[in-house]
Amino acid sequence: MNDTIPILLVLIPGLPLLATIVTAIFGRYVLKENSHLPVVVALVGSFVCSAMLLAEVKLGIAESSKEGSPTANSIGWEVTSNLWTWVQVEDAITTSDVSHAAAAAPAPGAEATPLPASLPFTIEITQRADTLTAIMLAMVTFVSSLVAIYAGGYMHGDRGYWRFFCYIGLFVFSMTMLVSVSNFVLLYVFWEAVGLCSYLLVGFWYQKPEAAAAGKKAFLVNRIGDFGFALGLFLIWTTYGTLNFHDASGVAGVLGQTRLAQPSLIAGFSDSYGTIATAICLLLMLGACGKSAQFPLHVWLPDAMEGPTPVSALIHAATMVTAGAYMVTRCSPLFFASPDAQQVVAIIGGTTAAIGGVIALTQTDLKRVLAYSTISQLGYMFLGLGLGTIAGITSGMFHLFCHAFFKALLFLGAGSVMHAMGGVIDMRRFSGLRKLMPVTNWTFLFGCLALGGVIPFAGFWSKDAIIAATYERGVLEGIAVYKVLYWVATIVAFLTAFYTFRAYFLTFYGEERIPHEAGSHAHESPPQMTWPLRILAICSLVVGAYFTWTGGFVDFLSQTPSLAFAPLAATAAHGEHSHEAHQLVSIVGTVIALTAIGLAAFLYLGDHTLIDKIKQLSGPLYYLSYGKLFFDPIYYAAFVWPSLQVAKLSYWFDRNVIDALVNFVGRVPPWLGALLRPLQSGLVQFYGVAMVWGVLVLIVTLLVWPALAATFGN
Amino acid sequence: MSTLLLVTILLPTIGAVVVCLLADQGASGARQTALVTSILTLVLASVLAANFEPPADPAAPFAASAMEWLGPSSHINVEFSLGLDGLSIWMFALSALLLFTCVLVSWEAITDRPAVFYSLLLLLGSGMLGVFAARDLILFYIFFEFTLIPLFFLIGVWGSEDRRYAAVKFFLFTLAGSLLTFLGLLTIVLWNYNHSDAGQMTFSIHELTAGLNAHPLAQPYQLWVFLALFAGFAIKVPLFPLHTWLPLAHTQAPTAGSVLLAGVLLKIGTYGFARFSIPMLPEATAMCIPWILALSAAGIIYGALVALVQTDMKRLIAYSSVSHLGFVMLGLFALTSLGVEGGVLQMVNHGLSTGGLFAIVGMIYERYHTREIAQFGGIARRTPILAFFFLLFTFSSIGLPGMNGFVGEFMILAGMFQRAWTEAPEGFELLYKVIAVASVSGVVLGAWYMLYLVQRVFFGPLREPPVHGHDGHGHDEHGHAAHSDLGHDGHDDHGHGAVDTIPPSSIRDLSFREIMAVAPLVVFIFWIGLHPEFFLSRMQATLEPMTRNAQLAVERMYGEPAAIAGDADQEQVERVSLLAEGVPARDE
Repeated sequence: MNDTIPILLVLIPGLPLLATIVTAIFGRYVLKENSHLPVVVALVGSFVCSAMLLAEVKLGIAESSKEGSPTANSIGWEVTSNLWTWVQVEDAITTSDVSHAAAAAPAPGAEATPLPASLPFTIEITQRADTLTAIMLAMVTFVSSLVAIYAGGYMHGDRGYWRFFCYIGLFVFSMTMLVSVSNFVLLYVFWEAVGLCSYLLVGFWYQKPEAAAAGKKAFLVNRIGDFGFALGLFLIWTTYGTLNFHDASGVAGVLGQTRLAQPSLIAGFSDSYGTIATAICLLLMLGACGKSAQFPLHVWLPDAMEGPTPVSALIHAATMVTAGAYMVTRCSPLFFASPDAQQVVAIIGGTTAAIGGVIALTQTDLKRVLAYSTISQLGYMFLGLGLGTIAGITSGMFHLFCHAFFKALLFLGAGSVMHAMGGVIDMRRFSGLRKLMPVTNWTFLFGCLALGGVIPFAGFWSKDAIIAATYERGVLEGIAVYKVLYWVATIVAFLTAFYTFRAYFLTFYGEERIPHEAGSHAHESPPQMTWPLRILAICSLVVGAYFTWTGGFVDFLSQTPSLAFAPLAATAAHGEHSHEAHQLVSIVGTVIALTAIGLAAFLYLGDHTLIDKIKQLSGPLYYLSYGKLFFDPIYYAAFVWPSLQVAKLSYWFDRNVIDALVNFVGRVPPWLGALLRPLQSGLVQFYGVAMVWGVLVLIVTLLVWPALAATFGN
Repeated sequence: MSTLLLVTILLPTIGAVVVCLLADQGASGARQTALVTSILTLVLASVLAANFEPPADPAAPFAASAMEWLGPSSHINVEFSLGLDGLSIWMFALSALLLFTCVLVSWEAITDRPAVFYSLLLLLGSGMLGVFAARDLILFYIFFEFTLIPLFFLIGVWGSEDRRYAAVKFFLFTLAGSLLTFLGLLTIVLWNYNHSDAGQMTFSIHELTAGLNAHPLAQPYQLWVFLALFAGFAIKVPLFPLHTWLPLAHTQAPTAGSVLLAGVLLKIGTYGFARFSIPMLPEATAMCIPWILALSAAGIIYGALVALVQTDMKRLIAYSSVSHLGFVMLGLFALTSLGVEGGVLQMVNHGLSTGGLFAIVGMIYERYHTREIAQFGGIARRTPILAFFFLLFTFSSIGLPGMNGFVGEFMILAGMFQRAWTEAPEGFELLYKVIAVASVSGVVLGAWYMLYLVQRVFFGPLREPPVHGHDGHGHDEHGHAAHSDLGHDGHDDHGHGAVDTIPPSSIRDLSFREIMAVAPLVVFIFWIGLHPEFFLSRMQATLEPMTRNAQLAVERMYGEPAAIAGDADQEQVERVSLLAEGVPARDE
């Protein structure tokens, strides 16, 4: 039944890769203005394959449950396929070595030590299909197809047209691989690969110094996250002796079914590994913070808006930045092992949501507002993931799924505005565009409604699910941390609706103003750009409601091995979703959203005198938000500048201490030579005397030595 | 195959002689002969590498040959014996590859006495190939020194402003170390002679290794011998703080010299550690491991930090070599098979990426006659292909997955973590963990300095140093002006179909010859990155016994409580069999 799945798994990333290669070879001189064609075709093809994969997975699950004998150790549903062996090191560790490791583990640890007897290091190129992967693949390929079609219009006439689509294809390849590989090393590989694509695309207009700097910043901040990810990875390797997700040939995978069925084999369920489990989770979370722009590593995402807008929509809103959330979801068995780490995830999520929301309030650049809103919404996702309940994780993933549609829509809408305004994106310089750009207007409004959390748009359902899950943990179960986070989440929901509609009103309402850069050709975008907007707008309207009513998303997602395991691991029995609680949260949420929108309308639809007054009243608070809470200068002063000073000091040390010592040693032989130099006087008489003396000494020695030896030798 | 190996090593020398004979034919004769020679060498080396079979017996390596050479009639038995094994094969192949690259990058750069230059270059080639193929200690040492002299002249004659000082410093520094190494090696030979009943003084490396394992050098002599060997090899690597000759030599050397120096010659140091120090002196190695690991980690971070503040492209890359070689040493002395294999692979990786970087910087220098980072900006616009290759080598160098550097760094670090977390000797756990974590930060710093370089030189508005060419005037002023009017989004031409233009210049992008010089490196960068198993599987047969041997020595050093080990062992076996059957029994 699963014969087609491996083929589909290869085709989904394979088609974009092929398109990339074709574009790279023929783009510059042959395809030129048509460089988007191979990529668009490949991405659509990829999407079709993903849809088929989704159907296959559904079918597979149905069949396996029909067989009626879900064996005790089959938890969740997965199919893996092996492509080739990447690295294999038969470890030379003798058994006594491993036992040394076991003995070194804090005593009674041997009981639950999950180390196999030898540690063969085998990394295989393995792909997997489970429900989590299928959902991510479908989402990624769908959004990227639409963005690619859109970009065909948006990037038209750019000197690097072919290069752009080359990078896009490469990105989709990496992203689809990222969500479909089946071990931590490959996850890390494609984690870095999407980072590379992001670097190349942010710096796409490399002649702009800001773009080049933003690309570098994005890469470096991500590298700091990856530093944590890599450390986590190495700890997983030393703790589990494998890096595979799934079980293979006698080795239990880190997230494989053997371990899932036997929670004691997941680190943390035994006392001796408790600390290590927390360490692993926190390090992985550091990686996720980098990629998903979570506090404290969120600073790169706003700068990344220097890239072309379709890139912002695809990479920095819908797909790549969600990789962190994907990873945490994938590793949820590990996180379940460490409640401390889960709380950290939730706190980081809540903090980030608040930071993003506060900064977004006052930004004047439309894309920056959206960027900070992305940061804030990603914070929501992490809040859900850190709740430590299955409802929390599924709600986080659901928000990820819905967010992809409406945030891509909003960015593409912003791109459409930018396209018409001749590249200007500062909201102070244009307004009242609703008549000029009707399609952009209504689609953007849909996006705003979804982001603001207005019923029945997508964002309402998913955000609501997260807040409800937080409410359950915080208020009903009375865990203090989650209680605070519930209030944070509720307040941020207000902020979200407010800043979203602030941006909307500033852009589309008020008197019609167009910057001079737009010239005389300010117009609605071509159909190639508006159709993707329409499709995404419809999606933003329906996906949330559809999946909430049918319950399809949560049930389907729960079939993924990482999540199916949770009920087994859950120590405390979490009651069913309290229905009244959920309703209460929904009502509060709706009221909050509508109030915020009303306030935004009140403030921004009239004259702006009231706003100026508020600005004056709030004084420093306003500048704190406008100055993005001054993260960049603080980081520069705290980390970058000191590092550079240490570097300078090291270089000084290198030249004036180490090298000076070397040179000093180098001067010793000439100095010794100088001591002996008087002997080389050049006086022949002196040499003659020296020679005579030398001969005498030799003769005497020769004569005397045997006598001495004879005397003392015996 | 054994004849082929001999021919491969001698071919560059023959080429060198021919180049000298054709000296009056002018530059073209010399370089064409050199090119043909290097291509032939590369082809032969490729044939050897393609047919390479990992030798099971260290006494009979691949393509082995041995001839009586010095003093067969007396007790002394020095043989002219060659052969390749898992440790040497890829460095051997890399040497041949980089020789080819070097001939091509010198093509137009060298106008002064080309015949002498190319013959020295080819002699250096023979030396490099020989060093990795030598199976006899004296032969190894001769080839080792043989690499020194041609490079001394390459730097001293064809280098930049400070070339004399650089060449002398390079020569004296390395020579001083290698003389100590020679003393150490001779001690090994004599000890073996005194303790074996062969009645002959053997210089064969594998016999010495076997001999020293049968009757190890007594302490504390073993430590002293280790330190003597260390002196030469650590300077060659160079291990922090013995590295100061390197930035100078790199900066002053002609492009070909830099490429070979970084690509191959530094690796003779790490190769020496892997070939002599670790297998022959395992106890002393075990004693020194914490020190060497600490120095390696210090070098990784220190090299990266110093690279961060360099203003000269070549010196920046030179300091990055200090950092990268720190990784190699870390892997080798982590002494887990993962670390050792990663380290040996990383020797090749660094040669490919840094060799490529030096080659490209040489091409930039040829065009603009400066390497000052501050003088450049946005030249990706002027020379996109050059920028493409530089970016590619940069990503390889900072260990981007899919390329070679990642595989090596990952294996090294995984190996180091394995050592630190599961197999650290008593009392060293914390130190090892600190070293492991600290070296990972080198990966972040590495990205920082390389991307800084890329951003400054290749991205941003076009800014070029004045070109001393036919057009005679600089472009730096109006390079700025042409792009200061970019729109907010950077694509003001958007929708107009207009193409922004740059001022004309005599600067051309890479020629076909230059692309050919670096393209083979790119092939291997991706090959190793995507299918490292091809390369690793050919190393394992040699490296695993070596690693195991050294590990046993470490264990002897730090004494294992055998009884406890036995108990835990039993439980391990039970657990594993449980896992293998996939029995999901909860153990309550």
